[in-house]
Amino acid sequence: MAERRGPVTPVSRWATLSRWPLGWGLAAFTAVVGLGLGSLGALLWQARGLHPAMLWEEPWLAAVLRFTLWQASLSTLLSIGLAVPVALALARRPRFPGRHLLLRAMELSLVIPSLIALFGLVAVHGRRGWAAPLRDWLGALPEDYLYGLSGIVLAHVFYNLPLAARLMLQALEEAPAAQWRLAGQLGLTRVALWRALEWPRLAPLVPRLAALVFTLCFTSFAIVMTLGGGPNSSTLEVALYQAMKFDHDLALAALLALTQLTICLSLWLLALSRGGTPRLAVSGRPGRPPGRWWRRDAGGLSRFTDSLWLAGLAALLLPPLVAVLVAGIVGLPELPQGASLAPAALRSLVMALGAGLGALALAVALLAGSQWLRASRRPFEALVMEGGGQLILVIPALVLGTGLFLLLRPRLGSGWEGYALVVLVNAFMALPFAMQVVRGALPGLSAPEQRLADQFGVRGRARVRWLIWPRLRRPLALALAYAMTLSLGDFSVIALFGSPSAPTLPMLLFQQLGGYRWQGAAATAMLLLALVALVFALLDRLTRRPPRHAWTFLPPRERRDARLS
Amino acid sequence: MTSKLPAAGLALATLLAGGAAQADRTLTVYTYESFVSEWGPGPGIEEAFEARCGDCELEFVALPGGVDILQRLRLEGEGTAADLVLGLDMNLMAEARALDLLAPHGVDTRPLALPIDWDDDTFLPYDWGHFAFVYDTEQLATPPGSFEELLEAPEDVQVILQDPRTSITGQGLMLWIKHLYGERAPEIWDRLDERVLAVTNGWSQAYFSLFMNGEAPMVLSYATSPAYHMGVEGTDRYQAAHFEEGHYLQVETAAMVANTEVPALARDFLAFVLTPDFQRHIPLGNVMNPAIDLGDELPEVFGRLIEPKSLTFTPEQVRAHRREWIREWLNAVAR
Repeated sequence: MAERRGPVTPVSRWATLSRWPLGWGLAAFTAVVGLGLGSLGALLWQARGLHPAMLWEEPWLAAVLRFTLWQASLSTLLSIGLAVPVALALARRPRFPGRHLLLRAMELSLVIPSLIALFGLVAVHGRRGWAAPLRDWLGALPEDYLYGLSGIVLAHVFYNLPLAARLMLQALEEAPAAQWRLAGQLGLTRVALWRALEWPRLAPLVPRLAALVFTLCFTSFAIVMTLGGGPNSSTLEVALYQAMKFDHDLALAALLALTQLTICLSLWLLALSRGGTPRLAVSGRPGRPPGRWWRRDAGGLSRFTDSLWLAGLAALLLPPLVAVLVAGIVGLPELPQGASLAPAALRSLVMALGAGLGALALAVALLAGSQWLRASRRPFEALVMEGGGQLILVIPALVLGTGLFLLLRPRLGSGWEGYALVVLVNAFMALPFAMQVVRGALPGLSAPEQRLADQFGVRGRARVRWLIWPRLRRPLALALAYAMTLSLGDFSVIALFGSPSAPTLPMLLFQQLGGYRWQGAAATAMLLLALVALVFALLDRLTRRPPRHAWTFLPPRERRDARLS
Repeated sequence: MTSKLPAAGLALATLLAGGAAQADRTLTVYTYESFVSEWGPGPGIEEAFEARCGDCELEFVALPGGVDILQRLRLEGEGTAADLVLGLDMNLMAEARALDLLAPHGVDTRPLALPIDWDDDTFLPYDWGHFAFVYDTEQLATPPGSFEELLEAPEDVQVILQDPRTSITGQGLMLWIKHLYGERAPEIWDRLDERVLAVTNGWSQAYFSLFMNGEAPMVLSYATSPAYHMGVEGTDRYQAAHFEEGHYLQVETAAMVANTEVPALARDFLAFVLTPDFQRHIPLGNVMNPAIDLGDELPEVFGRLIEPKSLTFTPEQVRAHRREWIREWLNAVAR
């Protein structure tokens, strides 16, 4: 706990910082980077004869690299570019029928297992999909637009636009109430609002989001292969899979993993350094329900364009989800008759909770550590610590799993260790997402607030309880939801280690598919989606109630006044 | 609140442990995911074997596919936890043998009823099937009767394939074409490319996400796939196209690990593989042909499947040339 000193002068502000965040940050950093680089190292150590020249000498490999870069850039550009107006529209319209549902669906899309997402996308956009009549009527689209580059980009936008828009919306909603009130009172126009309020909120977020989306698209596997229509469109990850599994060419696998690492990590460093340090704005009250203030830009033309953006989002997002739901409902009678379903669901939930909490703890430790470093004017170290958290994202799961396997050599006969290992790896894999969510909310106390808190001696536990926790609880809940549901739907990690006899929900799904049980599989997929939605809804509900302390409470009169102004 | 914690912890422990009590004589079998599912052959086989051996316990560890079993074996080496591996197919045999981890099965192979002769003393077949193009009769009235007819088919006859780099069926097609066309294979790949709607990473994506959604009238699968649709779903809608020149054969095998701690039990299990008690779970459980003649116990729908000529390379040929053939395929279809 922080040692108590007398009131401090602003000059030596950083000197009074508790060293705890740094310690935790360093511990988390060591764990994450150690695990990531350790598994890569284990692979390199086993591999003999690394031939970097293969990358440009092997024609198909070069082609794959080119294509990967191209589709990932295109997908990122579209996902982020379109997410901005969508997020703005959602922020501008805090109340419309179905808004809640739309937000839930946005959260769902990222965590759907790719197999399920593909089923939904094909059911809607396929040659014989629901959209086929519309497509024929329009006549502009080719019959098989789902296959090839357009399909890959469509699927990636389906996955990533909602994620980006959701995080942008969160950033917009975190804007201090006072700013919106002032904007309302001044009657700022749309352009002025964008320049004064919206863009400054989004600007620090965009580079990070772009890096995240790019990395996800760069390493995408099943989607690129299924919709790509052939080996022309594949990612490095496919080549890596082949090298690792079929050829057992660990040298090539390590080379590919290193290439991927280099490209994505340099992008991350660029993004993180561009993201800039958090602005020292006067922070507002936490937990403010959005859009209480009248906005001049909410009427007129923007009413029309906002509807257009939101309808577009709904049209992108909802039909594939509905397709999964419909197939699931049809398949309900085909669900396994045995008792395996409920235990599988429970097992999945328990494991997801463990992984989610682990990811959250790591994320908070890393961010607190990097914040500490920044506060003590060591921006580079801060950057490295934060970047360390994204490392897992760029190390292919296959490399991580195999490397870990080489390091630990787990014996999976006795259930426990196997599951624990899966939880651990899932926690690490969910970390980058958890960090994205928490990071947006972590600028923390502004300098004046910090000085004030220091002067009043609000430090240590009290500071966390009364000043930091109230601002963090909702982002933390959202981060936990993302981390939990990512592990909930994850199959790849279990697949790496092999599964003991008792299956989790995604394993059950794959077993059903492997055994031709399509309808049952669809029902299981629907249940999985329902669980994911439940986790989000539950965590949202648990943290919705404003925290108990006096000064977040807005007297009703003031609210009324604000709306009238 | 706190008093409930230990109870909750205990409940959690039993939940995660999946009730895997350790018996003294436990036979650990590495196999693939769909084999152990509750509708797969695993549970029935486990029950029958445990009834047979008395106080032993059969424990399956499921990996996604045969390639993963091999990979796991290779990573674990001498210290592997497996006593037995179930699910390495013919094309993986040579590589598995080269690991020097497996022991002879010592089982009398006379009951085997395979379309080819079998004299391997390490790998014991437990089922087999031909790769084939399954078609939707509602989209395609007359399927092509040969590769040539498929290549010459009208433009709307499209197929969904799997990638030979990531999928067993995809690799099967690669071997199939190579076997039929040899040097001409690249040219055939190039022509086939015109017919291809998608090349997925795995069989599940192709069959479930695409074919069952009606995206294309044909999908690369097994000649036994229609048996599931006819026998379990009760529909004749999906059938396999019979190619007159023959189909590539897949034989799935079991083998015991040399330094297992329970060699007698492992041998018992291998002997059990070729009995009706094991084999009766194969046809509709694993949707493959049983390795022995099941007589009346063979489901009637298996009599309605195509019976093509069998094509095979030896495991050693596959091992020697697979990478080169995959490169050939890549360069033929990648532009």
